[in-house]
Amino acid sequence: MPVLKGKELRIVGFLCNWCSYGGADTAGVGRFTQPTDLRIIRVPCSGRIDPLFIIKTLMNGADGVLVSGCHPRDCHYAEGNFYARRRLEVLHRFLPILGFEPGRFEYTWVSASEGQRWQQVVTRFTEQIHKLGPAPKIAGPEASKTLRQMEAAL
Amino acid sequence: MKYQQELKDSIRKALPDLDVVIAWSSGFDPLHATPHFIRRDEDIDRLEIGPLCVHNLATYLPGLRGKKVGIVVKGCDSRSVIELLQENLIKREDVTIFGFPCTGVVDQTKVRKALGNAGRVDFCQVASQTLVVGAGGTEHKLRLSKVLADKCFSCQYPNALLADHFVGEKISPSVAEEEGYDDLAAFENMPLDERFAFWQKEMDRCIRCYACRNACPMCVCRDHCLAESRDPHWLSQEDNVRDKWMFQLIHAYHLAGRCTECGECQRACPMDIPLLLLKKKMNKEIKELFQYEAGVDPAATPPLLSFKMEEENIKEREW
Amino acid sequence: MAKVQFIKSADVKPWLAELAQQHRVFAPAYDGEALIFRPFDPELEVVLDRAATMPPKKTVFPQSEMLVDFTYSKDPEDLSRVRIEARETLPEGKTLVFGSRPCDVRGFTMFDRVYLSEKMTDIYYQARRRNTLFISLACSTIENTCFCHWVGSDPCDHTGSDVLAIPVSGGYLLESVTVSGEKLLDSQLLADGASRKAEADKFCHEIAGLLGSTRDLSQAPEKLLAVFDNMEFWEEVSAKCLSCGACTYLCPSCYCFNITDETSGMKGKRLRSWDNCMSAQFTMEASGHNPRPTKAHRLKNRVGHKFSYYPAIHGGVTSCCGCGRCIKSCPAGIDIREIVLKAINFAPAAVEE
Ligand code: SF4
Ligand code: SF4
Ligand code: SF4
Ligand code: SF4
Ligand code: SF4
Repeated sequence: MPVLKGKELRIVGFLCNWCSYGGADTAGVGRFTQPTDLRIIRVPCSGRIDPLFIIKTLMNGADGVLVSGCHPRDCHYAEGNFYARRRLEVLHRFLPILGFEPGRFEYTWVSASEGQRWQQVVTRFTEQIHKLGPAPKIAGPEASKTLRQMEAAL
Repeated sequence: MKYQQELKDSIRKALPDLDVVIAWSSGFDPLHATPHFIRRDEDIDRLEIGPLCVHNLATYLPGLRGKKVGIVVKGCDSRSVIELLQENLIKREDVTIFGFPCTGVVDQTKVRKALGNAGRVDFCQVASQTLVVGAGGTEHKLRLSKVLADKCFSCQYPNALLADHFVGEKISPSVAEEEGYDDLAAFENMPLDERFAFWQKEMDRCIRCYACRNACPMCVCRDHCLAESRDPHWLSQEDNVRDKWMFQLIHAYHLAGRCTECGECQRACPMDIPLLLLKKKMNKEIKELFQYEAGVDPAATPPLLSFKMEEENIKEREW
Repeated sequence: MAKVQFIKSADVKPWLAELAQQHRVFAPAYDGEALIFRPFDPELEVVLDRAATMPPKKTVFPQSEMLVDFTYSKDPEDLSRVRIEARETLPEGKTLVFGSRPCDVRGFTMFDRVYLSEKMTDIYYQARRRNTLFISLACSTIENTCFCHWVGSDPCDHTGSDVLAIPVSGGYLLESVTVSGEKLLDSQLLADGASRKAEADKFCHEIAGLLGSTRDLSQAPEKLLAVFDNMEFWEEVSAKCLSCGACTYLCPSCYCFNITDETSGMKGKRLRSWDNCMSAQFTMEASGHNPRPTKAHRLKNRVGHKFSYYPAIHGGVTSCCGCGRCIKSCPAGIDIREIVLKAINFAPAAVEE
């Protein structure tokens, strides 16, 4: 864990099966050093990623979410990442209204051969999240008790 | 309202070929209108249009598929009808649209605040930009400019965008388009942690009644909503902010690029949760990214159901 | 003999602060534009001049409550054997609700007949019901939606309350209804109220007068049954209904619930949460069959249950307290009174030859 001092944060990655998951694998096989905060969820295609997965991940306490798919025009299913790009861009712009820093979520493209690039992406994203620190957490069922405090903050 | 009689005549002519015409009539008190389903000639007499006709009647259309339905629409409501047509959720030949020039509808929350604890309402009239409400033996004069719905102050489409019968003279929108998002801009000037706290506080009082969802003309899954599904299990049955807030994001996301900003979700919410802010934010981004507004062109494809190989406004996140 | 005390308006908050030492106190306060029962806080303004958006139903019947919490554990000797350890989680602590309306609290008496009957006791409900006291406030304004007098109540009805507060000049007359209520009236902040009793009686008389004439609902149970199979009737009255849960969840006398298990890994909890007969899922069977497939069937149940089936098994009591919330907060302006009256006045069309 060379780039990071201190505690790990919770970062979740949604990676497409055909490119980015392969890219992460390539990086692993090549023994490129990477921060270890990221937990990967493999999905068939970036087009499978419902933006609500990302919102739910953040709501459940993740500190950052990274999505990576095939480069545009390289989608295994031809068009999945084109749809994904629109959805993810909208999400990226939408998140701040909820109070999440825009940088808590990024999306990018990494192909199966780009082990090196994967290493850079992970390292950079992890650094970005560490700079932001832990994400705001939603109060539990006891929220009404903290209502007053929150009102005071407004 | 000026064109009421004309509208009634127009409906009377069309009714023999229709199963039902949806309009408004006077509701449980003089200050409230209610959706009015016209089936027989005598039902037409009770029709009323005016600033109390808050309900977006397009909500009822998908539930009446297969029937010949007439519907009276305000400008904003017509966008929901168009969006339903865009998505093939209703058939053009099954709906007969009656339009009229809309001069705005009230926000009952604002009215309630302005009236205070006035007691029983005895009458309500509109006279020269004022709502005159008789309640508890007193006459209250409420300036329409104080009690109209926010959406009406930035309305771009006061005339039905699509109508088979339009009564009255078309009017032009009274404000510039940009002003509609002032409240959003103000909210976005707040620091992020305050926004986060805001939603936690607001969502805390949600009672999960799903009036917001059921009043939404574009929420067409109705009885098959994710909110109540156990498999997939998106939401738990717990009474916590996380699940309640999550539902609003499900709603906002399922409406992305489809929401016509009619404001019904917020109007229907019995707990007065400012839900429209989320929808407006979504719409604003969609408009900026794709120059698209839902429910304006019956032939248009919603932006998230299409793509371009090269997107003009999306910078690839190459990093 | 009921204890009768007087409190100055200005002393209400200090009194609540006193009571808050022994109880979790809830009082109506704004949250955004909604008036809800919130935990008492000296800094919050207690709003008593209008009925709350939401009755204090949650204090006795939470929107969602844990019934049991459970843990699975595997037998290390034989991994196919799973043990479940379950723990009942009964609510504890005393709660006091201030500023509820007579109709709100009367709603709990509708619950009582069902959850605290001779045949069956709901221990969770019972625990909260026993430990929750109500200081209700007689209504001083009548809204268009109020019809408590149609269902055998009035703005000074103390049924279900422990203390009834009646507005009198300068403050409130506090009248104990139960023994527990009497104990609440011991504070130094209160003075003897006997001299103001006449004023309070006059107030109650006048406010009841403002409600206007009542309607005779005695035929409702039978008439609603008479239109039970008339789906055309129900389709017409429910046409504008959106089949949401606003009317039921805001209703002080709607008590239906759902039970679900929320499990995460080896741990979980069994929850009871509000459910409502206006929801399509309410009667959905595992087979996929739904005996109440349309909103017409569902609204029929909501109205029928309150004005016909409940009274039929509970000594003629209508399980609606006339608070009017379902009318006021319905996004479609459905008026339950209109439906009941329509059923009562319904004359089947003469059969054509
Ligand atoms: S937004 Fe426009 S069309 Fe809709 S109610 Fe307001 S003024 Fe009328
Ligand atoms: S989300 Fe709200 S504003 Fe948008 S269409 Fe639905 S009800 Fe109207
Ligand atoms: S209408 Fe309001 S209270 Fe009901 S579920 Fe929607 S946000 Fe919650
Ligand atoms: S009656 Fe009104 S509040 Fe009740 S389900 Fe129908 S629309 Fe919702
Ligand atoms: S049915 Fe309506 S009026 Fe009757 S108690 Fe329930 S909410 Fe109040």
